[in-house]
Amino acid sequence: MTTPTSPITTRLGGGAGWRPQIDGALAQVETLGFIEVIAESIGAGALPDGVVAARERGLQVVPHTREALEILCENVAIAQEALPVPLALEHVAALVQWPSPEMDEATFVRELIERTGALLLLDLSNPYANALNHGYEALEALARFPLERIAYVHVGGGVLRDGVYHDTHSHPVVPGVLHLVEELCAIADPPGVMLEHDDDFPPASELIAELKAIAAAVRRGGERRACA
Amino acid sequence: MPARDRSAYAERQAQLLAALLRGDDFPSGFVAARAEAASSALRRKRGRTVAHDWPALTLCLGDTFTARFDAFDRGAGATASGAPLPDGLAFARWLETAGVVLDDDARVEILLGRAALRRHGVWVRAARLREPYPRLLVVVRMPFAGLVQRSVRLAER
Repeated sequence: MTTPTSPITTRLGGGAGWRPQIDGALAQVETLGFIEVIAESIGAGALPDGVVAARERGLQVVPHTREALEILCENVAIAQEALPVPLALEHVAALVQWPSPEMDEATFVRELIERTGALLLLDLSNPYANALNHGYEALEALARFPLERIAYVHVGGGVLRDGVYHDTHSHPVVPGVLHLVEELCAIADPPGVMLEHDDDFPPASELIAELKAIAAAVRRGGERRACA
Repeated sequence: MPARDRSAYAERQAQLLAALLRGDDFPSGFVAARAEAASSALRRKRGRTVAHDWPALTLCLGDTFTARFDAFDRGAGATASGAPLPDGLAFARWLETAGVVLDDDARVEILLGRAALRRHGVWVRAARLREPYPRLLVVVRMPFAGLVQRSVRLAER
């Protein structure tokens, strides 16, 4: 089996989502390969009102149907035409699901990526959350995502509350998600893996330990891939 | 995809959004317990963004912020736009109706927030403040001139 390789040839390495509250902590991390800056963190004026509102409302849960796939592909095409940059699409962690899906999430995402030619922003916390909340095997599903189209990987923390896993980005990264990082890197070679921590910021030492844990999981997976 | 299919799809998505944000009925087939968990997760998230954009109000409410925002959101619900600025103003109005007494900093923040949301015409509001001396803060928003504020000292009582 050949390892899926990304069209992104730049090695990004380990990264983090930039937030002003963790600027000092990130400056201490010599091994930091990249940072992701979202418009929201550089001021309210950086985003059009509609985008702020859409974010505020939470990410939309898309039904996994042929019809929704068609519409989404059209919408992506409209965005691709208007924007002079390559797009990477990210799937969401959803507590609710539309009833009567016609395909599972991995199939839906694969079709969407293949048909639009967009890259995949793979968020490992999302298949972890969705698998736990909707009762399926995360690893099996992960292997069927379009791993050959990864732009980079998101890893975020969460918490189990009343038997439901919440992808909060304000709690520590759980061992199950770190395990998925290792497993992903054992079967694919993503250009970069970054930590998303958006709220309730921990002390710098904890943040740095978390980045190290992610890097270690990437390394373990990579070693397994090299031996396979 | 024909336009009518797109609009039917948009309508169904809007229905889900209204259920999550305003407590309307969920489209059929959704698991009720999960739906409630999703609604409260969104409520917490909205509370956090409002807290972030309204620091004086948040400081003034202290530990009671979360419980009060929760009560506001369950009752009145998010504004149609769902953005932190109008949500914070709606929350402030709700607090006022509920008889919650706010400090000067929070009241000034609300006044300026109201002015910032005005897009047309001339808008004038005033607030009687106690700190650092008894005064009347007058805020005027005018086309082209933007926002102007003046403090008028009031006699000590």
